[in-house]
Amino acid sequence: MGRLTLESLSKSYGSNHVLQDITLSVKEGEFVSIVGPSGSGKSTIFQLIGGLYTPDSGTISLDGSVLNNSRGHISYMPQSPALFPWRTVLQNVELSAEIAGTKQNRTKTLELIKSAGLSGYEDAYPNELSGGMKQRVSFIRSLNAPQSIICLDEPFSALDEFTRLEMQQWLLSIWETYKKSILFITHDIDEALFLSDRIIVLSDKPAIVKKEITVPFARPRSEELLMSDPFLILKREIYNLLRG
Amino acid sequence: MKSAVNKGWRPLLVLILLLVIWESAARLFNIPDWLLPLPSQIAAEAFTGYSLYTSHIMSTVTLSATGYLVGIIVGIVVAILLFRIPFLQQAFYPLLILSQNIPVIVLAPLLVIWFGFGMLPKVIVIVLVCFFPVTIAALDGFRQTDRDMLYYLKMIGASNRQIFWKLQWPHSLPSLFSGLKIAATYSVMGAVISEWLGANKGIGVYMTLASSSFKTDRVFVAIVLIMILSLLYFAIILAVEKSVLRWRSQGGNESDGSTHS
Repeated sequence: MGRLTLESLSKSYGSNHVLQDITLSVKEGEFVSIVGPSGSGKSTIFQLIGGLYTPDSGTISLDGSVLNNSRGHISYMPQSPALFPWRTVLQNVELSAEIAGTKQNRTKTLELIKSAGLSGYEDAYPNELSGGMKQRVSFIRSLNAPQSIICLDEPFSALDEFTRLEMQQWLLSIWETYKKSILFITHDIDEALFLSDRIIVLSDKPAIVKKEITVPFARPRSEELLMSDPFLILKREIYNLLRG
Repeated sequence: MKSAVNKGWRPLLVLILLLVIWESAARLFNIPDWLLPLPSQIAAEAFTGYSLYTSHIMSTVTLSATGYLVGIIVGIVVAILLFRIPFLQQAFYPLLILSQNIPVIVLAPLLVIWFGFGMLPKVIVIVLVCFFPVTIAALDGFRQTDRDMLYYLKMIGASNRQIFWKLQWPHSLPSLFSGLKIAATYSVMGAVISEWLGANKGIGVYMTLASSSFKTDRVFVAIVLIMILSLLYFAIILAVEKSVLRWRSQGGNESDGSTHS
């Protein structure tokens, strides 16, 4: 479960044409990134998938059923951690399942908190955590949801370089154990290449899919990959696509 | 507790200083008792006349506590209704503000005419002065929810009811408690005003009797009693707030410093 398909999706707000004919898919257990210039409508794609707005044309489907303008089918991790300050770490992680109305699995939740390296912080409040820790809580909150696909909206863009790399490696390791489908938005080419199975390159407004790149690197991936020649060649290719 | 003592000595010192100035100035200029009693006389009256006002205190406490509880329930319910039903907000918000422009001193006799001298008109007066700060504070709290958290909840498909109870309601609590504290002090004032109009017990009655017989020292005893009662209510709400909003006192900064774009 967790096959997401967008078919020739278009959306405009008044005269502002944001998306044009976007077709992409995420297979079960696949990690797909969307890269594009800032303001290219990446977040609009998420808003359509999340059901906040209706596309002008095209369909969004998950495991074969159409979900245009219907909410609650995806799990989501925002750019800022958006943790609820009055809830403890444990209560924050439980929120996603609470909203979905599914039964809490305390063992699984505690296991997730442990895998985020936050054992002992279960009863801590978010304002006691560092920026990186908050993002880890935010991610395991999205993992704890019953939905089979997670949308991540530039989750690491506010972190410093070192924390970001650490977080990316941690994200990969935990994703490899839980194997949910992931759709990941970023404007960082390194990040997209390091994390994904496939990369969708968007153009400037109105956004169209410029190219779909399959990332050939084997998993598990290590930090050295970032400096290898095949990595840099692909990086240059995407860079040129984004520029012109 | 230690910090309360550390911070508390400054206002206490100013208070003692004021009392000393009052006492010495009144003695120096030989001001008659019925015009302005000495602080020492007021203190003496508070001790010796103890039996005269104890029963009045209980009556005022019962009245103001009842009015306060009803007032905050009305205040919170009104805030929730106005917030959840936009039509009601448009229709009633201006009326709500107008209701606060009617002087209590004019309204109270009317209420006595309509509802008699019982408990009901007095409770209504207190409710009228108490509910407004609670409603306004709660509405402000509901409206100023964090955009990132709201967006997150919408993206994962939370219903409006879930958004209210899981985000807007807990988010409004700090603001709501400010309203509750204001209302707590208003409730004592409201109780005393309503007692002036016709009651046989209460600090307001004690005060009226004292002032009409020029027992000015007793009027001041009543003032002190009202102050102590207000402070007591304030302290109770403060304690409840501390235990409910425990998350606020732990850790350092509240905001996470990043915003959604």
